[in-house]
Amino acid sequence: MAEPQPPAIVEGATMGDVEDEVQSQTKSAEDRKAAAAMAKLDARDEDASSSHVDQEAASKALKNMRAPAAAAAEKKEMKKVKVEAADVALLVEELDLTKPKATELLKAHDGDAVAAMKAFIAV
Amino acid sequence: MPQPLSAKENSLFRQVIRNYEDKQYKRGLKAAEQILKKNPKHGDTMAMKALIINQQGKTDEAFALGKEALMADMKSHICWHVYGLLYRHQKNFEEAIKAYKSALKLEPDSLQIQRDLAFLQVQMRDYQGYVQSRTAMLQARSQVRQNWTALAVSHHLAGDLAQAEKVLTTYEESLKTPPSKTDYENSEAVMYKNSIIAEQGDYQRALDHLESAAKHNLDRLAYLECRAEYLAKLGKKEDAAKAYRTLLDRNPEHPDYYNKYVEVLDIAADDQAAKKAVYDEYAEKNPRCDAARRLPLDFLTGDNFREAAKSYLSLMLNKGVPSTFANLKHLYTDSFKKDTLGAVAHEYLDAKSTSKDEKEAVDGETPKGEGAALYYLAQHYNYHLSRDLTKAMEFVNKGLELVPNNLEFHMTKARIWKHYGNTQKASETMDKARNLDLKDRYINTKAAKYQLRNDETTKALETLGLFTRNDSPGGPLADLLDMQCVWFMTEDGEAQARKGNVGLALKRFHTVYNIFDVWQEDQFDFHSFSLRKGQIRAYVDMVRWEDHVREHPFYSRAALDAVNLYISMHNNKHLSNGVNGSADVNGEDAVERKKAAKKARKDAQKAEREAAERAAKQDPNKGKKVEDETKKKDDDPNGAKLSATTDPLGEATKFLLHLLQHSPQLIDVQIAGFEVYLLREKYILALRCLNAALALDPEHPRVHEQAVGFRHALNSKLDSLPPKVQEVLKAEFTVIPPSTDLKKYNTDFEAKHKDSSLHVIAAVNTRKLLGDDQATCEKDFLKLLDIKGVQFEDAKLALDVLKNWRSKEAQEFKAKCLSMWPEVTAFA
Repeated sequence: MAEPQPPAIVEGATMGDVEDEVQSQTKSAEDRKAAAAMAKLDARDEDASSSHVDQEAASKALKNMRAPAAAAAEKKEMKKVKVEAADVALLVEELDLTKPKATELLKAHDGDAVAAMKAFIAV
Repeated sequence: MPQPLSAKENSLFRQVIRNYEDKQYKRGLKAAEQILKKNPKHGDTMAMKALIINQQGKTDEAFALGKEALMADMKSHICWHVYGLLYRHQKNFEEAIKAYKSALKLEPDSLQIQRDLAFLQVQMRDYQGYVQSRTAMLQARSQVRQNWTALAVSHHLAGDLAQAEKVLTTYEESLKTPPSKTDYENSEAVMYKNSIIAEQGDYQRALDHLESAAKHNLDRLAYLECRAEYLAKLGKKEDAAKAYRTLLDRNPEHPDYYNKYVEVLDIAADDQAAKKAVYDEYAEKNPRCDAARRLPLDFLTGDNFREAAKSYLSLMLNKGVPSTFANLKHLYTDSFKKDTLGAVAHEYLDAKSTSKDEKEAVDGETPKGEGAALYYLAQHYNYHLSRDLTKAMEFVNKGLELVPNNLEFHMTKARIWKHYGNTQKASETMDKARNLDLKDRYINTKAAKYQLRNDETTKALETLGLFTRNDSPGGPLADLLDMQCVWFMTEDGEAQARKGNVGLALKRFHTVYNIFDVWQEDQFDFHSFSLRKGQIRAYVDMVRWEDHVREHPFYSRAALDAVNLYISMHNNKHLSNGVNGSADVNGEDAVERKKAAKKARKDAQKAEREAAERAAKQDPNKGKKVEDETKKKDDDPNGAKLSATTDPLGEATKFLLHLLQHSPQLIDVQIAGFEVYLLREKYILALRCLNAALALDPEHPRVHEQAVGFRHALNSKLDSLPPKVQEVLKAEFTVIPPSTDLKKYNTDFEAKHKDSSLHVIAAVNTRKLLGDDQATCEKDFLKLLDIKGVQFEDAKLALDVLKNWRSKEAQEFKAKCLSMWPEVTAFA
C-alpha cells in the first residue's frame, strides 16, 4: 500500500490503555522519562515472563487449543426450520420482540407460533 | 481504495492523529482541514476529523462526516474503526461491534482494533465472540501472560471451565523457570485456577492443587478459607474442624466460620448445650467478642434462650450499646423469642430502677443501663412485629426525661410519629434531633428523608445542602446527582409524585434509571484494567455482579414508581379526553397544579438568572469552567418533556422490561406488568404477568382484581384477536373459566375475605369494573372502616381510589378517617 499506516488509533481519554495515555500525554523529556519508568513498572511481569516462556512450547500449545465449533454447527441446524413471515410478525406484535428474536423463538419451536407463544409465557 | 497522499500531507496526517491523542483538538482540526483542502475526498482524514468533532461534543455532525468518510473510502480500516468508535461513543454497542469487525477484516493484524472489539464483546456478554477475539490476541502476542489469562477468563465466562483450566495449565507448562514467590500476578493466577477447579466440583483435585501450588500463596486468607471449605465438602470432618478453628482464631467475629465449624463437628441438631459450648469457648477466649455471645441466640430455644438472652442483653445494656436492638431484631420473626426479649428487657429495667439510688452512690459516673433499656424498649414497641405505639412513646418520653438531649431518643420519637402516620411531627422531631448534632451526616440524611416523606422537597434539599459540596455550580441537587445519590432521587421523586409534579417525579426516576446505566458502563474500564493488574478473581466476581445489578431494590423501587406513574398518566389522559364533564370535580387540583407549575417556572427563571450572574462574575478568568457548566446543563431540568410524552405506556415498558427480567419474584412487578400490557392490549404478555403473579400469591387482592378484569376484557375482546392468539389465551388462562359468572365469583371472593380491608377494596374495585353502580361502591368503602383491625394505610388507599373516581364521598370518607386516626397527616 502506498499509504503508511498510522501507529494506532487510541480511543478517547478513559478508554485507551493507561500506558499509552501516559506516554502520549507527556511533553517534556523529563516527563517522558518518568512515563517510561512508570510504564516499565506495570510491564515488569511482561518483560520478565517473556524470557521465561518457551516460545516453541507456547505456540505448539496454542495449536491444540482451537475450540471445537460445535456451537456453530448447532446453529446451522436450527436454520433449516422454515418459518412463516406472518408468524414472525405476529410474535413481534404480540410479544414485543425484535424480529431476529422472534424468528429465533419460532425456529426453536419448529415454526409453530402457538407453541412458541405458550413456551414464552410459561412461568 | 487506499488514497495516496504526498509526503508532506502524510506527515500532516500523522500529526492529526498525534494531536487527537494529545487532545489538542483545535490544532488537529486545523491540520485535517489543510489536508482536505488539497484532497477533499480523503477518507482517513475525514474520519479523523469526525472523531475530533465528536470529542468536541458535536455528535450529529461527527456522524454525518463519519458516514461521508466511509463513502469516500470503503476499504479503509481507519474509516471503519472511527465509525465504530462513534457508535461506541453513542453507546450503540451492537453497531460498534459490526463496524469494528469490518475494520478488522481489512486489517487483521491491528492489535488496537482487535482489542477494542474484544472489550465491546465482553461488555455485551458475547462470550463466544470474546473467546475468538482473545484467541486471536493470544496468537498475536503469546509471550504476554495477560493474554493467556484473558483467554482463560473468556472460556470461564463462556461456561467452559475445563478449557479455561487447560489454558492456564498450558501457560504454566511453557514457563522455563518458576515465577518468584512475591509475583503477585502469578499468585492471583494460581488462586484463580484453583477456583476454576473447585467450580467444576472436583474438590479433591482442588484441594491437592491448593496444597501443592498455593500453599504459600500471598492471599493467605483465601488459602485458609478454600482449604476449610474443600475439606468440609470432602467429608474430612476432623481436618475441616481444625481448619475452621484456625480461621476462628484469626477472626472470631465471622458468623460464617462458626456455622460451618459447628456443621463439621457433627453435633446432633437438638443438642443445644453442645453447640453453645462451642461458642462459649470463644466468648471466654475473647472477652470483647460479640459474635460468640450473640449467635447462639439464633438456635437456642425455650429456657436456654431466655437464659442466654438475659445475659446477652444485660451485658449490652450495661455497656449502653445503642445498636443492641438492631442486632437482635431478626429474632423477632419467632414469636416466643420476641416476647422473651421484651420481657427480659422489662425485667432489666425494673431491676435497674429499684437499685438506682444505691448505684449512683457507689460510682460517680451516670449509669448507662437504664437509658439503654428504655431505648431498647422504645424500639421494641416501635418495631412492626411487636408494635404498640402508645407504649413506645411512653418509653421514649421516659428516656428523654433521663437524657433530654439524646439524639437517639429524638430519632426514635420521630420514627414513632412516622408509624403513627404523622409525617408532619415526624419531620419536625427528626429536624430537632438533627439540631442536636449538626456535624453528624447520618442524622442530617435522616432529617432530609423525613422532610421528603412530608413532601417538604425544598426544605429537604436545603438540609442536604449543608453537607454537599459548596462550590458545585448547580447547587446541592447537582452535587447529589454527581454523587449518584439514589435514595434521594427516589424519595424526592415519590414526594413530587404525591405533590402532583409529574414532570419532576419522572425526571428523578429517569435519573435513577440512568445511574444504573452508568454503573453498567463503569465496568468497561475494568476489562483491561483488571487484567493488567492481574486481579482476575475480583474481575470475574465483578462481571457476574454486573449481570445482576438491576436486581437491587433501589432499581425496582424507582422503576415501579415510574411505571405506576406512567399508568396513571395514561389513565388520566383517557379520562380527561373521554368525560369532559367530570373535569371540574378535579378543578381544584388542576388550579393548584397550574399554580405549582407557574411557581416552578418562576423558580427556574430565577435560578437561571442567578447562574448567569455567577457565570458573568467568573467569566474573565475562569472561561473554561463556564464552558464545562454549559456543557453539563440539563435541557429539561423540570422534566417538562418527560411529562409531555405521548406514549406513557411505551416509556413504562422501558422500565418494566428490566424489572421483569431481574425481579420477577416481586409480585408488585408482575402486577404492574399486567396493568401496562393490558392497557397496551398485549394480551399474551399480560397473561404471562398474571400467571406469574398467581403462582407467587393466588390470594393477593390485586391479583384477584386483575384476573377478573382479564376475563372480563377477554369476554368482549377475544373474538377480535388473531386466531393463534385466541388459542394460546384459551389454553393458558385457566384460573377463571370463560363460563364463570364474574359477579358471583367476585362476591364469593369478598365474602371469603371480608375481614381483610385490602381484599375488600379489591372486590369493590372489581364490582365497579363489572358495571356496578358507582354510588353503591362508594358507600361500600365507608363500610370498610368498620372492619376490625383496619390500618390507616389501607384507608389511605381507599381514599385514593375514591379521589380517582372523583367521588363526592371522598370528603366524608376523609373526615371519618381523620376522626379514627387523628394523628395521620394525610387525612388532615
